[in-house]
Amino acid sequence: MGGSSQQFRYWMLILPAVALMLIFYVFPLIQVLWISVTEPVPGLGNYEELFTSDFLHKIWWTTARICLLTTALTVVLGYVVAFAMAHVERQQMTMMMFCILLTFWLSVLVRAFAWVMLLRTQGTINEFLQFIGLIDRPLRLARNEIGVVIGMVHFMLPLAILPIYANIRTIDAKYVSAARGLGGSAIQAFLWVYLPLSRPGIIAACMLVFVFSLGFFITPAILGGGKVVMISEYIRVAFEETLLWGKATMLSSSLLFGVFLLLAIVGRFVDLRRVFGSS
Amino acid sequence: MSLTKTLYEKDLYPEIEDNCDSDFARDCVEIASERLAKGEIDRRTFMKAIAFLGAVPTAVALGGGQANAAGEIVIVNWGGPAVDAYQKAFGEPFEKATGVKVVIDGTGPLGSKIRAMVEANAVTWDVCDTGAGTTLVLADAGVIEEIDYSIVDKSKVLPEFAFDHGVVNYMFSFILAYNKETVGKVPTGWADFWNTADFPGFRTMRKQPNGMMEACMQALGRSPKDVYPIDIDSAVDKFKEIKDDVIIWGSGSQSQQLFREGEVVMGNIWHTRANLLRRDMNGAVEWTWAGGCVAPGMWNVPKGNPAGKDTAMQFIASSQDPAQQVELFKIMGNGPANPAAADLVPDDLKAYDPGQPGNLSQQVPFNGNWYREMHSSGKTNDQYSREKWLEAQA
Repeated sequence: MGGSSQQFRYWMLILPAVALMLIFYVFPLIQVLWISVTEPVPGLGNYEELFTSDFLHKIWWTTARICLLTTALTVVLGYVVAFAMAHVERQQMTMMMFCILLTFWLSVLVRAFAWVMLLRTQGTINEFLQFIGLIDRPLRLARNEIGVVIGMVHFMLPLAILPIYANIRTIDAKYVSAARGLGGSAIQAFLWVYLPLSRPGIIAACMLVFVFSLGFFITPAILGGGKVVMISEYIRVAFEETLLWGKATMLSSSLLFGVFLLLAIVGRFVDLRRVFGSS
Repeated sequence: MSLTKTLYEKDLYPEIEDNCDSDFARDCVEIASERLAKGEIDRRTFMKAIAFLGAVPTAVALGGGQANAAGEIVIVNWGGPAVDAYQKAFGEPFEKATGVKVVIDGTGPLGSKIRAMVEANAVTWDVCDTGAGTTLVLADAGVIEEIDYSIVDKSKVLPEFAFDHGVVNYMFSFILAYNKETVGKVPTGWADFWNTADFPGFRTMRKQPNGMMEACMQALGRSPKDVYPIDIDSAVDKFKEIKDDVIIWGSGSQSQQLFREGEVVMGNIWHTRANLLRRDMNGAVEWTWAGGCVAPGMWNVPKGNPAGKDTAMQFIASSQDPAQQVELFKIMGNGPANPAAADLVPDDLKAYDPGQPGNLSQQVPFNGNWYREMHSSGKTNDQYSREKWLEAQA
């Protein structure tokens, strides 16, 4: 008796949240799916293009390549920073955290343009390298894929640093001492003991960075000089410019399903709930 | 992309913002009016802000959200200083002549918004300030009215720019602009644009094909008169030849920035931007009208517009007055659409007006009819070229 009334109260309490999700999230999502199978004609014609259009293949491949590269670089660099943060004095740690969060809050547009200033042919970096005589002609660091990856890695770093830091802070230093005490070298202790213990943090960082990267279009548009077209940019064009909503929604849905699929695959190997912080 | 839009508005016509405080105040008022209508701020805060700006009458006239009462027409443009400029050039004369109140809405008539409004049966806009490309797309989607040429006077525009579903409201040009301090020799046409050996350095071209393929065809040897019909595949291949030396511009402010930062030596950009660059960079940037593509800005009327189709057509007809168009040109730099306005342009501004007979005769008029024709791929030339152009960039 008491149980069922408690259950009723429980459902009443979460009802507003569930209703909000249904109205503002699930319903529009269903609409998107609906448009993708009804426009311009009912059927799976839009999805057929996924397999037949060479251009789409190229864009998906560009997207995957850039996202994977960004993820790999970001997580490696993020791990180095997080590792340092976990092992410095508290005051230094606070300072480091402040700097990371500061860049995190800067607008993506500001950051992209700042990188253009640094990387362009007459930019700070090229002029410095020429000044010290390392190169005679400016390197093309921006307005191509190199620029895009640099800009994206910079944007994503906090997303990698924070989960990795949160994870490795909980690793007990005694494990490493024990490994050393049992005759392991510093490198062995790190590779065989510390690194495996930080796996949940690494996986969380990879997932976060990769999924976020998939949706990027401003950074590629600016730092890629318009020549690095990723899937989100193509969705924007199809939605805003050519008004091919069937195609735009098909691509959005595919992207969404792609992410779900990825989560499902990763979920087979690791406990995602633990990775994302609920226990 | 709303961020780039903000840049665009702020950077487009800096002289207006700098010199006229009241213009800026009015724009603030409009933003505040909108926020009130959306419920983002309450009326008390709103009135306080208005009192601060010293602009109560304007704000009350804008109505704080109760748009589209009877006797009102809503004109949508891209905001910023264009709100005031349009009010002055087109709004006030129409109000005086008909008594219908003109509300200029600066939120930007994106094609996707127009389509969404019409399909949701919730149209709040009467006349939209778009471009030829958007007009073609919207006409294909079947969401805009045909222009009623019994009310709108076809003889007051260039024949090429009287489309079925849109009519020219002002003209602008895609021209070859160059930085004469960095480009070395002065380029005289699109052949030089493609000559990366004698004219080294980055160039900039636009993300959309309109105005760009016309340049490609001339680089392929066609004379300005014979640019159409464009062979899309050849034009795109021609672009690919210099692709590594091209940076793509998406917004007008971006094209301007590329020149200002010295990233490019040449570009196929809008004449309004080139003119700002000329002034900002003390004459370092110049342009040639030769081989340029003169294109129409467009009035569109969404299907089911609240003020009714006839009122919208009457507004468009009223905006064809040459004196009003010269007024807009003086404030904004948009070339008058009515050929009769050419003589009314002050002498010192004639060099910057794409519609002056001497400038016009050197350019290719954008051919909307060709863009609407079917391509052998089963799509219209417009659709096919957009696809191929983007594909070539990626």
